[in-house]
Amino acid sequence: MIIDHPLLGPRDSAEFVYLGDACLIERPDWQDENALDAFHDYLYLRDNPAGEHRELWFHEQGDRSWLVVTRNTLTHEITKVELARDVARALGRSK
Amino acid sequence: MSDTALYPTPALGGYRADKDGIVVEELTRLAVVSIATPLDGDKALDAAMQKSFGTTPPAPGKVTISKDGKTRFLGMAPGQIFAVFNHDRPDAEKRLAETLSGSAYTTDQTDVWVALRVGGESVVAVLERICPLDLHPDAFPADRCARTVMEHMAAIVLRDGEDGFVLLTARSSARSFLHAVEVSVENVL
Amino acid sequence: MSNTASRQSHRLSGGLVDRNAPLDFTFNGSHYQGFEGDTVASALVANGVKLVGRSFKYHRPRGILTAGSEEPNALLTIGRGAYAEPNTRATVAELYNGLAASSQNHRGPLGFDFMAVNDFFSPFLSAGFYYKTFMWPRAFWEKVYEPLIRKSAGLGALSGEPDPSTYDKGFLHCDVLVIGAGPAGLMAAKTAALSGARVILADEDFRLGGRLNSETYEIDGMPGSEWAQSIVQELSEMDNVRVMPRTTVYGSYDHGIYGALERARDHLSDQGDKPRQILWRIYSKRAILCAGAIERPIAFGDNDRPGIMMAGAVRSYVNRWGAAPGKRVAIFTSNDDGWRTAADLSAKGIEVAAVIDPRTGNAPYQIPNTQIFMGDAVAGTYGRKGITQIALASGREIPVDCLAVSGGWSPNLQLTCHQRGRPAWREDIAAFVPDQGIPVGMSVAGAANGELSLKSALTEGLNKANAALKDLGMKTAPQAAPKSDDEKIAATPFFYVKESKARAWVDQQNDVTVKDVKLAHQEGFRSVEHLKRYTTLGMATDQGKTANVVGLAIMANARGQSIPETGTTIFRPPYTPVPIGALAGRARGKDFRPYRLTPSHSWAEEQGATFVEVGMWMRAQYFPKPGDKSWRDTVNREVETTRNSVGICDVTTLGKIDIQGRDAAEFLNRVYINGFAKLAVGKTRYGMMLREDGIAMDDGTTARLGETHYVMTTTTANAGPVFRHLEFCRQCLWPDLDVHLISTTDGWAQFAVAGPNSRKLLQKVVDTDTDLSNEGFPFMACSEITVCGGTPGRLFRISFSGELAYEIAVPARYGDALIRALIKAGEEFGVTPYGTEALGVMRIEKGHAAGAELPGTTTAQNLGMGGMISKKKDCIGNTLSERPDLNRDDGLRLVGFRPVDRSQHLKAGWHFLSKGSPCDMAHDEGWMTSVAFSPSLDHSIGLGFITRGSDRMGEIVRAVSPATNVDIEVEIVSPHFIDPEGERLRV
Repeated sequence: MIIDHPLLGPRDSAEFVYLGDACLIERPDWQDENALDAFHDYLYLRDNPAGEHRELWFHEQGDRSWLVVTRNTLTHEITKVELARDVARALGRSK
Repeated sequence: MSDTALYPTPALGGYRADKDGIVVEELTRLAVVSIATPLDGDKALDAAMQKSFGTTPPAPGKVTISKDGKTRFLGMAPGQIFAVFNHDRPDAEKRLAETLSGSAYTTDQTDVWVALRVGGESVVAVLERICPLDLHPDAFPADRCARTVMEHMAAIVLRDGEDGFVLLTARSSARSFLHAVEVSVENVL
Repeated sequence: MSNTASRQSHRLSGGLVDRNAPLDFTFNGSHYQGFEGDTVASALVANGVKLVGRSFKYHRPRGILTAGSEEPNALLTIGRGAYAEPNTRATVAELYNGLAASSQNHRGPLGFDFMAVNDFFSPFLSAGFYYKTFMWPRAFWEKVYEPLIRKSAGLGALSGEPDPSTYDKGFLHCDVLVIGAGPAGLMAAKTAALSGARVILADEDFRLGGRLNSETYEIDGMPGSEWAQSIVQELSEMDNVRVMPRTTVYGSYDHGIYGALERARDHLSDQGDKPRQILWRIYSKRAILCAGAIERPIAFGDNDRPGIMMAGAVRSYVNRWGAAPGKRVAIFTSNDDGWRTAADLSAKGIEVAAVIDPRTGNAPYQIPNTQIFMGDAVAGTYGRKGITQIALASGREIPVDCLAVSGGWSPNLQLTCHQRGRPAWREDIAAFVPDQGIPVGMSVAGAANGELSLKSALTEGLNKANAALKDLGMKTAPQAAPKSDDEKIAATPFFYVKESKARAWVDQQNDVTVKDVKLAHQEGFRSVEHLKRYTTLGMATDQGKTANVVGLAIMANARGQSIPETGTTIFRPPYTPVPIGALAGRARGKDFRPYRLTPSHSWAEEQGATFVEVGMWMRAQYFPKPGDKSWRDTVNREVETTRNSVGICDVTTLGKIDIQGRDAAEFLNRVYINGFAKLAVGKTRYGMMLREDGIAMDDGTTARLGETHYVMTTTTANAGPVFRHLEFCRQCLWPDLDVHLISTTDGWAQFAVAGPNSRKLLQKVVDTDTDLSNEGFPFMACSEITVCGGTPGRLFRISFSGELAYEIAVPARYGDALIRALIKAGEEFGVTPYGTEALGVMRIEKGHAAGAELPGTTTAQNLGMGGMISKKKDCIGNTLSERPDLNRDDGLRLVGFRPVDRSQHLKAGWHFLSKGSPCDMAHDEGWMTSVAFSPSLDHSIGLGFITRGSDRMGEIVRAVSPATNVDIEVEIVSPHFIDPEGERLRV
């Protein structure tokens, strides 16, 4: 597969390490009342879509950016690649 | 205190080989210092680099060169560049940090990497046996650099002249990396 | 058998072979001669050799069927000794001087195969016979049936020796990849090349041109093969074009990536020391598949005799190689194209005995002096080791020595299906053509797309190239397709001669007959994928290239459905076989993976150290001295010397991560379970990291070198994963912390200097401006220093051994000099270097956790560090570490163990049971993780996890290993076998 890195252009997926669902960015607040449940859901409950999937890839043999890759699990078509940091910020994550 | 000073040992013993016009050479004087831009510190670093080097920090995958032509800056990652220059003593990072006067976080990377220059007319044919990147001049012009993987080993590639490349590779696996380059030369020429 | 090269009895004039370059070769020990430009098959044809092998199951005599990579029969072993390669298709093996070929799958000589008896038992060997026959007795399967079957069925055998050839891999990039260099491919490549696109033109043949080399077409007024050569010449001279003969594009992968195998030196008598084959990964923006078409046979009685050959292949041998497959030939064709064979043979002066066409109506070509049978079919053949006569459905018998067969041409669309593309049926050419699901970026031109005539192939090559260029935003060069013939291609679906009485072969490579297909249907294996697995139709090296459509047609007929309704099996890579050696490439033996060497490696080699692989690292395991009786003597000495005086160990392999930034302290606070916010500059702290699920991930020390500057160490094994994890935290979780990470693992040569004399030793090396006294540089201090008169370095007062100890680091280039300086400085103390074994012994004696205690299933609580988890702050893993099940009172705790009988030696992996408990999983209480022989205590010691371990000090439990009959008593003790109060490391 080829991942079209938003900064570096198309690179072979062999340079990357896969992590999983991009929802891992949305780490719950440890001080929430239901933190234990929230962390449980965050860590263990995943959708397994046949189709579009947003997932985290790490450019280990490249610029060390974490990327959010939108990939169709049926066709491997990649429709969007974003810097995970930008995605995290857009989700309101900061310090 | 010891009576003998410590002498540096090049990782590849100052390797140099010339086979049918392909020259593979360890660059033993090359210093590498990483420069990390503090959060929201881009402008300050820009200014410091402009002042000291007459150039700007490169974007990831790009190379800029100091006005005096002596220092190459490689864009390694968002907020991280490598300064590459010839420097013999083990204080490259200190010198650079002073020059940038606190506008960035610096880390000495000289000893992390071993630099090999591979040059010659058929250099692309040699490197295409191990390098997944497109090194065609249109795809990889002089102002490009890239970090990738060759034979399971990390490598930073930069163009050095029309038919030459400098490859930076981890010091600990440098012998295996050199072996990979040597085999490529053997297999192609 | 003659020893001199025999006359080439079937060689004609003409052809694309070099008669000035004769080549000697042997087949089954007999000497023959061919010419440069021959394949092994064409040279055999030229020498009148028809019988080339025995069939897979029935050991039937078989000959050459095709002239290309689709060949099912002519599989030979080529090469000698360890170089011999089985199952090589003679039809694509290029002849070289001295080539040695032999036939396969027979016992005794090829002409009299003892196993041919199978053919008489064929009624018992029909489809699914393995499943039916060898059901019982069950024990017989492994011991009797399987060895027998393996011996009697099959193809060639490997030499059993290591492959002496070398292989390589590589990466190529292009705008347009053209697969196949026939008329469509050459036209497409030329069109793309002229526009300036970077073009790769790959073809499996050594002579580019495809069917142009086998036909008598004219293009632009010159013979087709000459036109092809002129285009190839033109392309070869262009900088933007890479022409790759002998290169099979075997697989289509995601996003324009193609796998290709270049047989770089298979055609040379002496391969030298260069790679025999190169496996290329080709990155393309667009690909144009111009792979041509494959002619399919017709199933009729005894249609597998040597001398029965595809009609197009007969033309190839006659026109391209000047080799006559027979001297009296009949042609059996269901389409116009087959008639060209009759015309070409006739023009070459070869007797065409008959043309048989099942279609009614007029003959499409006039062939002089030939009997024409329209509306008839070949129903049977005669001749034990080669065809001598054919029998028509109408009853007529005609003596021949060769029968050319054509059932029409199937587009060669395999690569369009590698990403689950599904072809569609085109009735007018009675064949499947590429349809939905073609790989993104691929287009198909020429015969591969069902455009079977020369003119349409040339036009489509041009058009598809222009479309690809337009897609890429590149200019297209105005040009027209050259002038060419536009031959007749009319075809009628015709697959099977019903009047046949004898067995009619569908898949010759797997010995599958029409009857087998019908039997599969009858027994319910009706889906094409079931049909394939049940009968083996379409398996093995040819993957049914010639057989599939015929098999489908027969199944469709049995099901009363159309062929498209019946469907096709899915094609997968590789298109043709790829040797395992090519897939392995250079990764063999010591080149299997890279090695990482420590800065003291050369020095350690000089000392005669024994090395051990730790991941990719080579670490000194121990340093034997003359007089050591065993490795344990050596290790004991290293431990004792270190504990009594001083020892030195290279610990460079530990991961080092440089962490800087205004928020670095806060960042560390969030990735370690314990507090780091208040760590003072000049101090080092042990830290434990959890995964988010509360399981221990890694541990190590982190030193604060400056206000905003830290250096973290990780375990050797986890350096990469920890870095990745920290980057995840930094970029994805807390993107606005000012924190920056970079690995410096390789940058610093780091040595542990341990033992009561370590301070004295270091005082001789570290420059005097650093106060090394206990007050000036206390336990857990760290500092940037200089050594040996000004070389910059770092010093950490940390201890893994439990002794007064330091880790000293210098830039890696000085590592070799530093180890020599340290050893020299230590001479007066009797210093010893120590390796990973002594390191392990000392950390077990001290009760420090390492990899075996952090296997990814244990928690901080298990490790006795639950109390370290700060409840006042957020950190990765703290919330889920509070899960009740991880905090049970009867949870596992890391403790020490010693054998009650001190002479016994413990082993890691033993499980613990209480005294009197039955030995089963329900009563399992934990397991031993690490063991060592402690020279300090003079007996074996162990670390392990056991339930409520910390509350059971002094209790005697059993350590058991049912698999090795171990059941001994051990005592639960503190994991700190040595200096439990930690006094030594604070002096």
